[in-house]
Amino acid sequence: MPTPLLLTPIMEDQLLRVLWDDDTLNDYPFAYLRGWCPCAVCQGHGGERHFIKVENPQLVSIDMVGNYAVNPTWNDGHETGIYTYAYLRSLGQSQDHPHSHNNPEEPD
Amino acid sequence: MGEHNTPDIHTRITERLRQIQYPGSQRDIVTLGLVGKVQVQADSVVVQIRASSIKEDVLRHLRGRITQELMTLPEVVHVHIHAFAAQSGQPHQGGQAGNQAVRERADIPGVRRILAVASGKGGVGKSTVAVNLTLALASLGHKVGLLDADIYGPSVPLMMGTDATPRAGQDKKIYPVEKYGVSLISMGFFLDDQSPVIWRGPIVMSIVRQFLRDVIWSELDYLVVDLPPGTGDIALTLAQEVPLHGGVVVTTPQDVALLDVQRGISMFKQVNVPLLGVIENMSFYECPVCHEREEVFGRGGAQKTGLKVLGAVPLVEEVRAGADAGKPVVVSAPDHPVAQEFFGIARQVVAAEEMQLPQSVH
Repeated sequence: MPTPLLLTPIMEDQLLRVLWDDDTLNDYPFAYLRGWCPCAVCQGHGGERHFIKVENPQLVSIDMVGNYAVNPTWNDGHETGIYTYAYLRSLGQSQDHPHSHNNPEEPD
Repeated sequence: MGEHNTPDIHTRITERLRQIQYPGSQRDIVTLGLVGKVQVQADSVVVQIRASSIKEDVLRHLRGRITQELMTLPEVVHVHIHAFAAQSGQPHQGGQAGNQAVRERADIPGVRRILAVASGKGGVGKSTVAVNLTLALASLGHKVGLLDADIYGPSVPLMMGTDATPRAGQDKKIYPVEKYGVSLISMGFFLDDQSPVIWRGPIVMSIVRQFLRDVIWSELDYLVVDLPPGTGDIALTLAQEVPLHGGVVVTTPQDVALLDVQRGISMFKQVNVPLLGVIENMSFYECPVCHEREEVFGRGGAQKTGLKVLGAVPLVEEVRAGADAGKPVVVSAPDHPVAQEFFGIARQVVAAEEMQLPQSVH
């Protein structure tokens, strides 16, 4: 499993920068990261993941969850998203076309 | 570099900082976004390192490197570095404004390593193994604690032969029960023998959290956690709440146990806990009269998991009797071959864990 070596929120650029242990470097703009929140509050139960548009979300803090996930807290108090490393990684790779990556079964 | 064409000091500072690689990576600290504001005042440079998930020791290393690199610039006499390592603390207690804190879930103060003993299936003797493994680790000279996370069916008090009530400490903390040189906590210490635990998940999870956080564990080399069978709330809470350093899976050789043990293995994989290996319990029965071995549950099951087999514990009367009498075989008969098997398992667990060689499943 790819594992982050370093997570750095960069306020000036409004993004979270993640260095992975295979030396991949991914940037996650706050609005993008918040939009793909995997929690059941955002996504409901079952079905495809969809993007939740939030205006100008600010990352307040980010907690490491055990050895396998991260859990951001946003300025609107939202704090239920647990992003597994695998999910975070997939978001990083698919930043330009999140829809095609996250919903591979979805017909165009 | 020609003297007549020296770039400005900020450019040269950045150039120096780009020479500093992040440990474990080919990338430099500027690229990683670690370097925030850089201010120059006369012969002093102030470098701001952004709040990140950086660990204390890595930060210390980088401070040294930054100072070293910047001191090579002729006009720099003083280097000041403002930085924070990742905070350790409980989640969701609010970050400071303007300072995005990256927080590690807090370790348990004084506890060096946390090992989880799991099984996909009940009745494989997981608690028996956990108890004996704990005592074997202690006999090897380690300071060990045992957390009985089987809230619904706690068996550690019986197996360890104590029903003491944990003493209350300050601030709603409790002291673990001491027996045979190890520290113990179990739901069983808080219940009558007869009263069943009829609780839903959230309450049970808060108990597990309290066992981790509100017990005064003092200094431990290992905290062994005896998980309930299966892959439910408790196991997940434990994996989320603390960084687990290793998982051990207990199984019997039979195929039906293996089926479930695979689930236990994938659970550890999903939460990224290094699997130290598998322990095969009730591996065979040796007739006490004719010493013929009988493989009651079949053979070779543990090998089929693809994990390192840490040991094979036979089905012998002494193990069962020791557990029922509250005197586990490792303490009651340390010279018995089965106790020796547990010592061997303990040594392998220590070796596997210290070498930090996670066993990969595929």
